[in-house]
Amino acid sequence: MAKRLGVYVCECGTNIADKVDVDKVLAVVKTLKDVVVADRYKLLCSGDGQEYLKQSIIENGLTHVVVAACSPKQHETTFMNVCERAGLNPYLFQLVNIREQCAWVTPDGEAATDKAIRQIRAAISRVQYHTALEKKGMECNTDVLVIGGGIAGIKASQVLAAPDRKVYLVEKTASLGGKTRRFSKLFINMESGPALIAGEIERLQQNKNIEVLTESEAEQILGFLGNFEAKVVSKTEDKEAKEQNLNVGAVVLATGFDLFDAKGLPQYGYGTLDNVFTSLDFEEMNLADGPTQGKILLKNGQPPKSAAIIHCVGRAEKGYCSKVCCLYSFKFDRMLQSQLPGAKIAHFYSDLCIPGKANQKFYEDSRESGVEFVRSTVTEIAGGDKGLTVKYETESGDKGDLAVDMVILLPAMEPSSDARKFAQMLNIPQDDKGFLAEEHQLLSPVASAVEGVFVIGCARGPQSIAESIVQAEAAAGKILSALVPGRELELEVKTSQILESFCTGCKTCIEVCPYGAITFDEDRQISVVNEVLCHGCGNCAAACPSGAARLKHFTFPQIYQELEEVLR
Amino acid sequence: MTDKKESAPVLVIGAGVAGIEASLLLANSGRKVYLIEKTSYIGGNVIKFEEVFPNMDCATCMIAPKQQELLANENIELLTLSQVEAVSGAAGDFSVKIKQKARYIDLVNCIGCNACFDPCPVEVDNEFEEGLNKRKAVYIPCAGALPNVPAIDTENCVRFKGQECQACQEACAFEAIDFNQQDKELELKVGAIVVATGFNMFDIGKTSQYGYKKLGGVYSAMEIERICASNGPTQGEITLRSGEAPKSVAIINCVGREEKGYCSAVCCMAALKLCHFLKNKLPDLKITQFYSDLCIPGKAYQHFYQEVKDSGVDFIRAEVTGVSESGKELAVKYKTDQGKGNTLTADMVILNPALEPGADSAKLAGMLNIPQSREGFFSEKEPDLTPVATAQDGIFIAGCAQGPKDIAETIAEAEATAGRILSRSG
Repeated sequence: MAKRLGVYVCECGTNIADKVDVDKVLAVVKTLKDVVVADRYKLLCSGDGQEYLKQSIIENGLTHVVVAACSPKQHETTFMNVCERAGLNPYLFQLVNIREQCAWVTPDGEAATDKAIRQIRAAISRVQYHTALEKKGMECNTDVLVIGGGIAGIKASQVLAAPDRKVYLVEKTASLGGKTRRFSKLFINMESGPALIAGEIERLQQNKNIEVLTESEAEQILGFLGNFEAKVVSKTEDKEAKEQNLNVGAVVLATGFDLFDAKGLPQYGYGTLDNVFTSLDFEEMNLADGPTQGKILLKNGQPPKSAAIIHCVGRAEKGYCSKVCCLYSFKFDRMLQSQLPGAKIAHFYSDLCIPGKANQKFYEDSRESGVEFVRSTVTEIAGGDKGLTVKYETESGDKGDLAVDMVILLPAMEPSSDARKFAQMLNIPQDDKGFLAEEHQLLSPVASAVEGVFVIGCARGPQSIAESIVQAEAAAGKILSALVPGRELELEVKTSQILESFCTGCKTCIEVCPYGAITFDEDRQISVVNEVLCHGCGNCAAACPSGAARLKHFTFPQIYQELEEVLR
Repeated sequence: MTDKKESAPVLVIGAGVAGIEASLLLANSGRKVYLIEKTSYIGGNVIKFEEVFPNMDCATCMIAPKQQELLANENIELLTLSQVEAVSGAAGDFSVKIKQKARYIDLVNCIGCNACFDPCPVEVDNEFEEGLNKRKAVYIPCAGALPNVPAIDTENCVRFKGQECQACQEACAFEAIDFNQQDKELELKVGAIVVATGFNMFDIGKTSQYGYKKLGGVYSAMEIERICASNGPTQGEITLRSGEAPKSVAIINCVGREEKGYCSAVCCMAALKLCHFLKNKLPDLKITQFYSDLCIPGKAYQHFYQEVKDSGVDFIRAEVTGVSESGKELAVKYKTDQGKGNTLTADMVILNPALEPGADSAKLAGMLNIPQSREGFFSEKEPDLTPVATAQDGIFIAGCAQGPKDIAETIAEAEATAGRILSRSG
């Protein structure tokens, strides 16, 4: 079919026409091969302008359209829609920005006109190499796999489950509730952790759309947003392993945290001195079903008369503040005070981190109740016949020591060992601290770099319970927004493709793809693009040494044709 | 739950990052969203920042795609210059009365060419720029603001004060200026409401010891944010009021913390960001930070602190007792933890204030019948278990309206409100 090109220059009122000599532009454009219409319009984006453009495309039987107007951010979609209404594939269109890029920034009229002509010639040259692209949809599975049965995983499951959306909650231990279940009290309202979890488990059990799989682990997850397949292995009652494949549309990782191992810092005496505990040991001690039936006791069975709480254990080693330790340390004050009235409590800390509206009062109440706060670095916990001695040094270099019966260390939080496992399984990056990384630290805090995989709670960094729940609900929000039962997923049109005959199997493209959209086909020894995951960023096309990876709508001929005319 | 509740439109109050994110998720799920914003633009406080911590992303570039997506989304009806007047009904069936002030500029016809600004005879302080420069009575708050359509400020426009003036209308080539537009009252039927009204900065004018508004070299952090901004009053050139570049800066943290009674969570990081930015622009600048406790929670922030510290910024743990004039410079008097008094001189002082709830919070809380915390922020239903729900079924809160927090937490809360609203599990 013969090419029939239309070129339309928008005057944008006076914005373009005052600087760019539109008549001169059109005179040049009209001489170009295959241009059958070249016209100007006062304001092409107006209702009348759009109608004119539509009629002109139809009447002239155009095969390609170039509009020279404003920024594509402003009106590319507008004009693409006009093409569509005129029966022309919208990808056989090119917009030239002669307002922001010429009229508004080039002071000299002649220079602006010359620049506009170059850019329009480039677009005319480019558009002829465009191909018609079609929007595609894909049916999707809307069920969700949640990994980790702590508070984050539980809440995510509750918000997501619905009659038309099944949730599989996979927990590797025998019981749900994670760490929260082992906290006898929660800051700052001193509620009971076990009671809170018991209530949540009851809600889970009542929800027929949630299938809880305890003593189960996901061993393999393959697929992409709207279509994952997970192999889950569960222990059965007779200790046999049962394997099942679950089909889901999204995966939520809520694998929680572990504490920094305080044994790595021998100066604190953890594991070598009696009566030096970590915060989790102390939590266990306060549980009715814990080793001491909820009593705070020393190794000799006596209640302590004094306790030192050491903040920031491992902070320097980990390189970050764990955010919640200061707050739960004030909770410990109350737990000690309520069981052991009159007990002396001293905190050794460097900086108090108590962000947020309600937390300062929680701290002040501790302080006013007689708890001592010593801003210092603890250099050693020493043992002795009469108990423990905390040796410390203040910021001004003064040294001191304090004899106490009990020491509670507040170790930093670190990602649980599962973070690495799932990072590798799902090809999602970990940050330099080992936490699972967000798609964008600020703008997309609960999505991972792999579309359809979400990261919530302490798996992505130290969080409070409230923050973990916010993130659980946030992941649910993202999933409920993207995967709607009965609705097809709209796929990116301008995706990458890899030409089999050119691909040498070097896998460079796989390394540079930020979306995990490229996999290696071992049989054919070539890279393959999953168009569902591809966002059309073009990294692969730029990196491919053999020219096999190509981005639709940004092909080499298209770009070279454009450049050649600009540089002519 | 009824089908009606599951498909009813949602009202989002406040078009900052939280409101934008909540609206997008809800709209993309197929819900109709009314997003109301009291100013003439979207993007809230975030668009005032040239860069944001900890990765020094350009804030406007970062959220521009979201803003564009919002403006193009057919399920979202954006109502700028609008405020809630009354709310009745219950979850699934709220009636909300909205008052929308006339913009006097047609959103469709205006192309954002700014030709109307020059001829306007009025000049007033630009509140978006913290009064550091002037704007006209027909104006956009800053270059790049969206929607890129001016509004007429009727309090200052001479025509609305009774004079014969149509200078802007005459300058408009698109017949976009319509003095006959009227304020509108709208009645919206919605199933759920998201409150994302953000924060204000503590009014430093309430303090006297720091010399704010009295001493030329004393600035608020927000003023410095705008001075750092490439689309701000100095196009990003860091200068004192004299026009000279500062040689030494003292940053005073926790201004208003004692008055407010809480730590504002983001100020330490915001101060570190300013240090990073200022050091980049003026490598020889001497910077001293006065602080009490460094609050840099979370996995990525300490690294940023270390980087700033290593760049040569001094940190003094002390209480600043006063700022006064000392020749051409400013004298910052301080007392350390050990009670030692001392003085530091600097030619620029930056006051880093607490964050507080938006000005209309009490009124809005009354209309929505949701409680506020002691500090004036909107209260969660249960602080631990339902952090984005309120005591009223169907009304949710996100972002700094609930308490001071950073952008990531704000976005997560916005997404969480969408999760709660779209959830069909009851």
